[in-house]
Amino acid sequence: MDFVQNFPFFSIILSMFSGIISSVLPKRAAKWVNTVMIILVGIFSFILLFYMIGRGNSYTYMMGHFPAPWGNEIRVGVLEAGMALFFCIIMILSLFGGRKKLDEELEESKHSLYYILADLMLSSLLALVYTNDLFTAYVFVEINTIAACGLIMIRRNGRTIEAAVRYMIMSLLGSGMLLMGICMLYDLTGHLLMSNIHEQVSALAVSGEYHVPLLVTIALMSVGLAIKSALFPFHAWLPDAYGYSTVSSAAILSSLVSKGYIFLLIKIIYRVIGIDVFDGSRIIDMLFAFGLMGMIFGSLSAIKENDVRRMIAYSSVAQIGYIYMGIGMGTQAGMEASVFHILTHAATKSLLFIAAIGLTDVSGGSRKFIDLTGAAYRNRWAGVAFAVGSLSMVGVPLFSGFISKLLFAQAAVQNHVKMLPALIVLGISTVLNAIYFMKTVIRIYTPVEGTGSGEGVTFKNMKIYVVTLVCFIILNVFLGVSSQPVVNLIGQGLAMFS
Amino acid sequence: MQYMILSVFFPVLAGVYLLIKKERGNRKYLLVSTGAFLVITAILVVLALCLGREGMFTLFSLTERLPILFKIDEISVVFSVLAVLIFLCAGFFSFEYMKQEKWEKKYYGFYLIILGVLLALCFAGNLITFYLFFELLTLSSFPLVLHERSKEAVMSGLKYLFYSLCGAYMALFGLYFVERYGNTLTFSAGGVISDQAVSNHMGVLLLVAFLMIMGFSVKAGMFPMHAWLPSAHPVAPAPASAVLSAVIVKAGVLAIVRVVYFVFGASFLRGSWVQTVWLTLSLFTVFMGSLLAYREPVLKKRLAYSTVSQISYILFGLAVMEREAFTGSMLHVLAHGLIKAALFLCAGAIIFKTGKTRVEELRGIGKEMPVLMICYTFVSLGLIGIPPTGGFISKWYLAKGALTSAIPVFYWLGPVILLVSALLTAGYLLPVTIQGFFPGEDYDYGALQKKEPSFFMIFPVLILTILSVVIGLLPEGVIGYLSQIIEKIV
Amino acid sequence: MIMLVILLPILTGILIPLIPFKKRKHMEIFLESLVIVNSLFVWYLMFHHTESIFTLANFTGNLSISFKMDGMSMIFGGLVSALWPLATLYAFEYMTKEEHEKVFFLFYTMTYGVALGISMAANLLTMYFFYELLTLVTVPLVMHTLTREAILASRKYLYYSLGGAAFAFIGLIFVIIYGNTTNFVYGGVLDLEKIGGRTNVLLLVYVIAFMGFGVKAAVCPFNSWLPAAGVAPTPVTALLHAVAVVKSGAFAIIRLTYYSFGTEFLKGTWAQNVVMAVVMFTIVYGCSRALKETHFKRRLAYSTVSNLSYILFGVTIMTPAGLVGAFSHLVFHALMKIASFFCAGAVMYQTDRQYVHELDGMGYKMPCVFGIFTLSSLALMGVPGLPGFISKWNLALAAVESGNSLAYWGIACLLLSALLTAIYMLTVVVRAFFPDKEFDRSLLDGIKDPGWKMLVPLFLFSIAIVAFGLHSVNLVKFFDSVAMGMK
Repeated sequence: MDFVQNFPFFSIILSMFSGIISSVLPKRAAKWVNTVMIILVGIFSFILLFYMIGRGNSYTYMMGHFPAPWGNEIRVGVLEAGMALFFCIIMILSLFGGRKKLDEELEESKHSLYYILADLMLSSLLALVYTNDLFTAYVFVEINTIAACGLIMIRRNGRTIEAAVRYMIMSLLGSGMLLMGICMLYDLTGHLLMSNIHEQVSALAVSGEYHVPLLVTIALMSVGLAIKSALFPFHAWLPDAYGYSTVSSAAILSSLVSKGYIFLLIKIIYRVIGIDVFDGSRIIDMLFAFGLMGMIFGSLSAIKENDVRRMIAYSSVAQIGYIYMGIGMGTQAGMEASVFHILTHAATKSLLFIAAIGLTDVSGGSRKFIDLTGAAYRNRWAGVAFAVGSLSMVGVPLFSGFISKLLFAQAAVQNHVKMLPALIVLGISTVLNAIYFMKTVIRIYTPVEGTGSGEGVTFKNMKIYVVTLVCFIILNVFLGVSSQPVVNLIGQGLAMFS
Repeated sequence: MQYMILSVFFPVLAGVYLLIKKERGNRKYLLVSTGAFLVITAILVVLALCLGREGMFTLFSLTERLPILFKIDEISVVFSVLAVLIFLCAGFFSFEYMKQEKWEKKYYGFYLIILGVLLALCFAGNLITFYLFFELLTLSSFPLVLHERSKEAVMSGLKYLFYSLCGAYMALFGLYFVERYGNTLTFSAGGVISDQAVSNHMGVLLLVAFLMIMGFSVKAGMFPMHAWLPSAHPVAPAPASAVLSAVIVKAGVLAIVRVVYFVFGASFLRGSWVQTVWLTLSLFTVFMGSLLAYREPVLKKRLAYSTVSQISYILFGLAVMEREAFTGSMLHVLAHGLIKAALFLCAGAIIFKTGKTRVEELRGIGKEMPVLMICYTFVSLGLIGIPPTGGFISKWYLAKGALTSAIPVFYWLGPVILLVSALLTAGYLLPVTIQGFFPGEDYDYGALQKKEPSFFMIFPVLILTILSVVIGLLPEGVIGYLSQIIEKIV
Repeated sequence: MIMLVILLPILTGILIPLIPFKKRKHMEIFLESLVIVNSLFVWYLMFHHTESIFTLANFTGNLSISFKMDGMSMIFGGLVSALWPLATLYAFEYMTKEEHEKVFFLFYTMTYGVALGISMAANLLTMYFFYELLTLVTVPLVMHTLTREAILASRKYLYYSLGGAAFAFIGLIFVIIYGNTTNFVYGGVLDLEKIGGRTNVLLLVYVIAFMGFGVKAAVCPFNSWLPAAGVAPTPVTALLHAVAVVKSGAFAIIRLTYYSFGTEFLKGTWAQNVVMAVVMFTIVYGCSRALKETHFKRRLAYSTVSNLSYILFGVTIMTPAGLVGAFSHLVFHALMKIASFFCAGAVMYQTDRQYVHELDGMGYKMPCVFGIFTLSSLALMGVPGLPGFISKWNLALAAVESGNSLAYWGIACLLLSALLTAIYMLTVVVRAFFPDKEFDRSLLDGIKDPGWKMLVPLFLFSIAIVAFGLHSVNLVKFFDSVAMGMK
């Protein structure tokens, strides 16, 4: 066994441990621990990724060398490593981008708490990505929920508490359903390790036994995770949670947390239930339909919204709709497109959130559209970044959004039944995206009388912010221009799942 | 050959020159130059007709298959001679008449351009050339209608424009199909449609022929597209009305002659539904025009309605598609041209001298301007068709042609309607004469003044009157001249 | 070399705000010379092009950004490069009255490169890419005046264009999946074996993509952005919204129809009838709206709507002859419409008059402008001897020859539209040259023809109009060879 194979385990433990020690550290130290930890984990994942590419197949890692059912297993493939790397990148960029805001909005005493929560969040995400054990997954889902609630409500005002409560309730409902699903699976199969369950489920599917319970299980788990990842119509908690929390939280929540759950769902589909069984159930059509509806209604809500952060939040609903549509197509290509869109959306949405905060800051803190007029002249970097993010979301070539759209559409064509609805909704949703994003871009680029350009906002006092934005933009363009290797990796990774 | 081109381009260029020349207020210079241009054009036309008869002349090509082509045949001769004559007369009349009007320079400029375009129409050797100049004719003649610039003039100018363009585009629709199904676009006696197309695409071709006839007959004021004519002709200055009514409407007639006899061929259309509809419409127009003229109180408008009716005589003759009827039509082209020009000039002279426009105001006019009114009476008689004037001969041939043809119903209905319309013509033209010379007992002779117009006005009217009578007296020359071409096409 | 002509204007555009010009004149000289140089390069390329495809970058799989100069590129690229220097010259004078010139010229010049990119794109994806880019670089131009109206117009423009592209995108996907290649190949690239029994789906997709690209070509019911975008400065309206942008929509449809789906696949199907009917409706609709419109530039914009559909009508006939008609109208309409727009712009520039009823008697004061306007009106109407007639002739002949009975109705639409064109254009001319008898000429005191920078382009356009009207044989021959797939 190569030493590298320990890295996933190290990553999880490292992040968890840094969370624990941060609780006794002062604010600055907590910040540094957090940064160093994320970078370290990122490096681990990076090395791991290359190792996996070289290795060509996945491996299972038994914690403490106890075999199942006593031990706990980690399973690593290209996709897992890549996802972990990507999560690290987004996380650190989000934190950097929102750092200034964080310093302003949070009480002095809460700072170290924030980093603890961030550390825990990362560790739970990593665990969700790597674990090969359903129960472990459940545990970390809960940790994730707690961390997320904390991230939402750490900025204290009435709205965030309400949002956090809402999130909590919906999220717990989701995890409850997931738990019930896991229990039933355990009942049916007697296993908790994914690979073992898979064998049993395939056998059950072949024999035709327990058809209904199996279906219910699939439904429970899918819906549970769908609630947690804010699939339409279970998205009610999302706009407030994303809209009012501090910006780093919003960026992390929208681009990482919901994506972690979706990744888990994909994993369950492949590794637990098996893609064939899943395809055969009606659940897939339901996800597809919800995805389509989300694409439309999320965008419609975004159009109606008069608050830029909430608008971006509603746009997330639509984007998550895209991802579920891809999953719902039930083809390899659709799944690849979904995974790619997870990346795209994460890179773009956090960019948008962070750019938006730069714009609102120079507009007297107001998030109403009318006050944002000309904001792009007051903060040029944020303006450009917002424009790039918008164009990417609308699906203009050169940016990552276009490639996702391309992949979705190509995938749609392969499924003869779902092709037309998918394509047409894709078209309509692009139009709707264009409407609300471009409206905003035009708004921020409309100069108003009597405002000088960029007073108080210079490169010097926003160094980190600007660098973050530039990194995000580069990430976006990278995904948009040289997408082929990424897509190949995803394909390889999905192949390793089974 | 070169005279043919020169006679087209010289007046056009002269007109453009007048238009772009700076206005200097030197009226005499303007009149002399216009007169000179007109005379030179006339000489060029005569030279062209005498010397340049043979062959075709291609000016340039629009596309590979669309040459702009000129050639002269008998039909061209008839129409071009008529055009030049009337333009000369009306032109000299204008020298006096236009004194009272503004924007004279513009008037003469367009006047000359129209002459050039008309000559080009007469000499056009193929359908596309014809269409080109047909459109140009509309565009260059409509400033004359607009000339007065009153609201009414502008409205009727636009009306004229749109009706004419509408007709032109209907014709253009046909043109596309002719290009496709014809052997060539060049006019040739007896038609150019290929036999194969005739057998395979009879329905489409008939429809196309119908559209082209209807389109071109807009210019000739045939029902149902006649409404522009009574409003456009009277609002122009009188000499312009004269050329509009006497010559420019004939461009429509010429177009139909070309389309029916030189493109589709009489034998193709004879007996088809197209002929029936066409006959019906033309007869209806004959009757309707006369009736409307009869009810019209304003003299110039009355004359315009009369044009509607008289042109449809010609169209009827063409629609019959028999030798004699065709001869009649051609004669009526000449007779009506001369007569209607004379009538409008008379009306213009009356307006110029007295400012009176309505018929009931003209009591005793004959006492005021006897020479003019005698001319008026003579040409009126001609239009009614009383022998021995030109109108009689032409109507005689028209009726004879109709009677000898084998078209059911129309062979007797046509002559009957022509006769009724002739009575109506008498009814609307002669009252002016009667009241003019015999104003009745209550007429105040004390207020009577001699208002005979000057030589410039009287002379053209006299010439036209004399010519119209001469045609009636000696029609054999014209008939003999036309018979060769009629031989070929009917 | 192809990259050079595309990138040079884009870079030039970016450079403009960066270089501190001492005088406005320096910027003018810099810009004009670069634009001319670029046009010369394009023309050089047209005569010395090679058959090979130049690939810039690979997207995913077999999708790449690549360029090639073929017959169609020569037509569109040649047209654009011939018009651009003149329009730039015109813009120098026009823009003296507007603010933030540099931003304007930045995007204006960039658009040149993007338009060339569209014309020389070698495959559907590249064209799509530049097509989206074209939308983005032209939006700031529409927004230029920053009035509320301009912003609303630019939003509308953006929504329509991006939305259209989103549906055109579906077509792109199907060509990727069902085609042998995405490169443009005359006659289409669809693999009939792959399609199997799904012909109807593909036809539906064609209609969707047609309408998607048709948004830029202002096909009804997606035309309302075009008149609204008339708030932009006139050089933009004239060059972009009468030529570069809208024609790129038509261009894209030609590529889609003849070079991707292929006419053999489409001809005689219900899809052909559907698109043809839509186009015919647009022809008439655009004209009748123009008739009702009293704003001078918007009237011309509606006229563009109708005329663009002439081009598309030629496309939907789906024969080489139809394509020839489409090409000739593509080129000739560009000349005629840019001339008439420039006239409208000159009037606005000199007098701030924007409505048709304010133009009474202007013909006396601005004889050159209105003379040229009259010429272009006549050309648009299709008076023989002017280019409008030639293109209409080609279109109608193609329609007759195709033997498609719907196409016969199309001829009727063309002619009806010509009549309406006559009405809405000539009423302007009549107003300008024949004002009412009681018209007070002193109202027009001080108005005169604009300066040479505006007049030179106008005169050159009018010369070109007359020249092409009288002698277009060689050009049409060239179109023929392109339409037969020989170039």
